[in-house]
Amino acid sequence: MSVAIYARLRAIRGAGAATMALVLLLVLSACAGPQTARFLTDASDLPFRSEVGGVPFFAQTDNFCGPATLAMAATWAGTPLTQAEAAAQVFTPGKQGTLRDDMVAAARRNGLLAVPVTDMRALFQEIADGHPVIVFQNLALDILPVWHYAVAYGYDLDRGVILLRSGLDETRATPLDTFERTWARGDHWGLVVLPAAGWPATASERAVVEAAVGLELAGHGRAAGAVYANAVQLWPEGYTAWFGLGNARYATRDYRGSAEAFRQATRLRPNDAVAWNNLAYALAGNGRLPEAREAAEQAVRLAPLGGEGPYRDTLADINALAARPAG
Amino acid sequence: MHARLMQAVCAPLAALMFVTAGPLPMAHAAMVPTEQVLRSADQATPVNVATDRERLATFLAREDVRRQMQSLGVDPSEATQRVAAMSDAEVVRVVGKLDQIPAGAGLLGTLIWAVVVIAIILLITDLLGITDVYPIGN
Repeated sequence: MSVAIYARLRAIRGAGAATMALVLLLVLSACAGPQTARFLTDASDLPFRSEVGGVPFFAQTDNFCGPATLAMAATWAGTPLTQAEAAAQVFTPGKQGTLRDDMVAAARRNGLLAVPVTDMRALFQEIADGHPVIVFQNLALDILPVWHYAVAYGYDLDRGVILLRSGLDETRATPLDTFERTWARGDHWGLVVLPAAGWPATASERAVVEAAVGLELAGHGRAAGAVYANAVQLWPEGYTAWFGLGNARYATRDYRGSAEAFRQATRLRPNDAVAWNNLAYALAGNGRLPEAREAAEQAVRLAPLGGEGPYRDTLADINALAARPAG
Repeated sequence: MHARLMQAVCAPLAALMFVTAGPLPMAHAAMVPTEQVLRSADQATPVNVATDRERLATFLAREDVRRQMQSLGVDPSEATQRVAAMSDAEVVRVVGKLDQIPAGAGLLGTLIWAVVVIAIILLITDLLGITDVYPIGN
């Protein structure tokens, strides 16, 4: 090595070392992996290694990491979907990428139950329960991000890795710490995509009901009904689950079943006018007009101050029906 | 033309709805949708039926998101379906922000990164006098 180069190298070291150290410190401290540490000390109820079987692999083409991961997850869930078909539903040309909301919407449009997974523990629990999870990562840094979707389908705590189908790699074993940092930079966004009859291992009532509402919005009312039916089994005290079941049954003209569900909702929250309101319609659909009128009157009584309008309309509807000659 | 076509299609459909809906022609309009009970997180806050103003606001937000998707190159009918499958809360969360919200791309992003990293390495090696790519220095 010539003296000139050596001198220059030393000069750069002198000037740059402090800056480099500062930058490194900032980068590292910004994204430590506390969840993994906690998780590893408290994972006694989970198997040490787990791998979901039957997850297909579609190598990503172009910028289709979103479509590829959705196609893998949907196909695994029993709704075969190609990368190209998924791309039509989720890819946004102007961004040369895929928005997270489009992933959720597309899963719903395919009649699938799409529920968020937002922390390491839940992620591992889903995998251990046999469900692959789509994860959103920032592979690079906050200042110069590389946004990426992958499918997490396995883990091995002995080796300290999570197994991903990622980009062109059928199996990418990423160290847990590294994964957690990339996932944290992607806001811990994860999505488990299941058949409507399936059940996420970790979801809350709220998350499941939101997913079912999404299915209804996407025109899969029957699938949503199946989700609500499962939800009330798991959460017999779940007001929103019963409410959803009532609406789903009403939509399929099961008025008697709908009335039962709304009746249960009014038992759980006797002071909520909306459940009485919907109960009134369900009873009316079932031909039980006197009971329907009682429920509608109850809704008017319970309505928040100034918000009686819609409930008065309901009562008027029911009264009009009662006034109509039978037949 | 469009309006007339809509009318021609909608009038018989509406009539059909009245016939098939049986004893309850008005019911659907006044049933409170499930999404609304999700908005009140707990029992303490009673559910309010959305006011006309709120309904109009979410309707307009939907239109905005749809239009923005279209301007980002999404096929119009496809954009309509994407927005339809989103809840009101989701629509309100993203409206006006589609350009800033991150979109997963993977490989392209990595490519850009590779280019940047190579540029930085070359800059360093230039400064070290090993390479001579940039017009500066030496």
